[in-house]
Amino acid sequence: MITVDQLSKSFKLYKKPSDRLKELVMRKPYHTRHTVLNNLSFTVEDGEALAILGRNGAGKSTLLKILTGVLEPDTGTVQLSGKLTGLLELGTGFDFNLTGLQNIHTNGLLIGMSPEEIESKLEDIITFSELGHYIHEPIRTYSSGMVMRLAFSISIHAEPEIFLIDEALSVGDGHFQQKCMRKIRQFRANGGSIVFVSHDLNAVKMLCDRAIVLDKGNVVADSEPESAVNIYNQLLGTETEVEAPKLESSGYGTREALIEKATLTGVDSASQIITSGENAILTAHVNAKAPLESVTLGMMIRDRFGQDIFGTNTYHLNHPISLQAGQLVEFSFTLPMTLAPGKYTMSLALHEGSDHTRHCYHWWDNALNFEIAGIRGPQFAGVCNLSPTIQQRQTDM
Amino acid sequence: MRALFVILTFTRQDLIEKYSGSILGSLWSLLMPLVNILIFTIIFSKIMGARLSVSGLELDEYNYSLYLVSALLAWNCFAACVTRTTTIYQEKAGIISKVNIGLRTLPAYILLSETIIYVISMVFFTAFALIVGHSFGWTVLALPVLFLIQQIIAYSLGLIAATFSVFIRDIRELVAIVFHVWFWMTPIVYVVNILPDGLSSLMSFNPAIGFIEAYRDIILMNKLPGLEFMLTASLVALSLFVFAQYINKHLQSDIRDFI
Repeated sequence: MITVDQLSKSFKLYKKPSDRLKELVMRKPYHTRHTVLNNLSFTVEDGEALAILGRNGAGKSTLLKILTGVLEPDTGTVQLSGKLTGLLELGTGFDFNLTGLQNIHTNGLLIGMSPEEIESKLEDIITFSELGHYIHEPIRTYSSGMVMRLAFSISIHAEPEIFLIDEALSVGDGHFQQKCMRKIRQFRANGGSIVFVSHDLNAVKMLCDRAIVLDKGNVVADSEPESAVNIYNQLLGTETEVEAPKLESSGYGTREALIEKATLTGVDSASQIITSGENAILTAHVNAKAPLESVTLGMMIRDRFGQDIFGTNTYHLNHPISLQAGQLVEFSFTLPMTLAPGKYTMSLALHEGSDHTRHCYHWWDNALNFEIAGIRGPQFAGVCNLSPTIQQRQTDM
Repeated sequence: MRALFVILTFTRQDLIEKYSGSILGSLWSLLMPLVNILIFTIIFSKIMGARLSVSGLELDEYNYSLYLVSALLAWNCFAACVTRTTTIYQEKAGIISKVNIGLRTLPAYILLSETIIYVISMVFFTAFALIVGHSFGWTVLALPVLFLIQQIIAYSLGLIAATFSVFIRDIRELVAIVFHVWFWMTPIVYVVNILPDGLSSLMSFNPAIGFIEAYRDIILMNKLPGLEFMLTASLVALSLFVFAQYINKHLQSDIRDFI
């Protein structure tokens, strides 16, 4: 359990470090204050996983460092019910000339294990890290994934009561990541508290029961992850709106008709971060320069590997369009977003007939970005959710 | 308790693992002082043929070696402790900024590791002294006390320098130069009476001389250092220790912010 009470932290900014000493002698301030955390209070119960979201510079890392005890708060208190280790210490004190085995001893001690504890967990640590005989090699010969695996393995076997995870969960390959996730869930089920800082919104939704959103050192939201993620995303939105791409520069085509503007928003999230299973609305504003018969508006969703995931158009949907010159028309599509979590792009096109190959008015590649994070309802694996139903009945041989 | 294990591990790393993979291993940490001793012995007692005599005692090359080494080993240990502690926060920044570790206990590993090197060197020195026919008195029992006082001073000076060097990087170079000058200002490799009068009276301000003489009293002359000196030294050590703790505690939060 963690209790944070009215925690504030500011950094004194000096023109040069020696000004701090000048202050001691001259007894007057030579710094400007930069507040990083402003009167923060929250608790994390045993067995609870709390996510901390916030833009860069919102104070997340400072908060974690104060929880670890590496930085001291100006005012306020932090109470921890037990031993705390963090993945932000991943590989702290690793000496790359020493073998994996020797590094287990040093790192284990540094993160608070006793020599006997390390000795008794040694087998488990090595087994979990899957390093095999490489454990006897100097870690300078390891790949970065192997180093991370070793570091994670030591951390989780330190048996802390509180576990801090800072962005470092992208450890190794998919197989190992899943193993880490299982281990972390197990840790939680045994009553451990987790504080999780990540930009991976899907992981936040999957792992945490609660999330707080930090902005400029203040808590702007403290709720279940889905709505916290939405608030976080609106914060992000206020920042990126300025740099939305100009339409003129994107796409190609005869430009007899143009997609002026397009948005994709989750019905509940009101943002481009959508939960799997949520409905999303695609709106597109189309402007025709000339009178056009049989216009088709189409879309294609691609995953982060550029693979086509789903595409359709108004031709296939049996919605014929004819446009008059100078007419601005808004189209909206409701899409049940049953895709798997991940990042996607959507390309849009205006053309004649069934596809763009004959006569293309406007092709807008990667017009929209969106992310699916978290899953509503039962979990699934793969690319999309086919929402199966199950029947069971007795059959005689 | 945990801090103790960490300090022990750092000490081991410092002594052994630094040289892992090298053929001579930790022997390297003894080799450098050995070369120094050889050079000084050859230059001072052979080549320069300096008139080396203390308390009416003419020093031949064996005696000179004893004279030199009895002070040099202690000085080396002292200088290494202070200079290495000065940069400890920069060196261990990766650990200090990630794991909660005491800023004032951390230097202990340097003290410990340098003490071990000193003890090992002293074992070799004792063997050499016995071979060339020197006999030790029971006064050597005072040696650990003297050494302890010296190490407390080394720790305190090192900690003060380390604290300030977080804010002023030049401290590191300054400390290196101070120790270089200080070494030659102290009669470690030479005898005070080879100096011109003006310089030798200046020397009485050098606090290190008291220590050097105390070491030679104990090791060479088989007599105890003066009680007055021991009391003064203890008092100085204690005050420095308290001051170092205070200043470090006072700036602790800033040190962590800056690193």
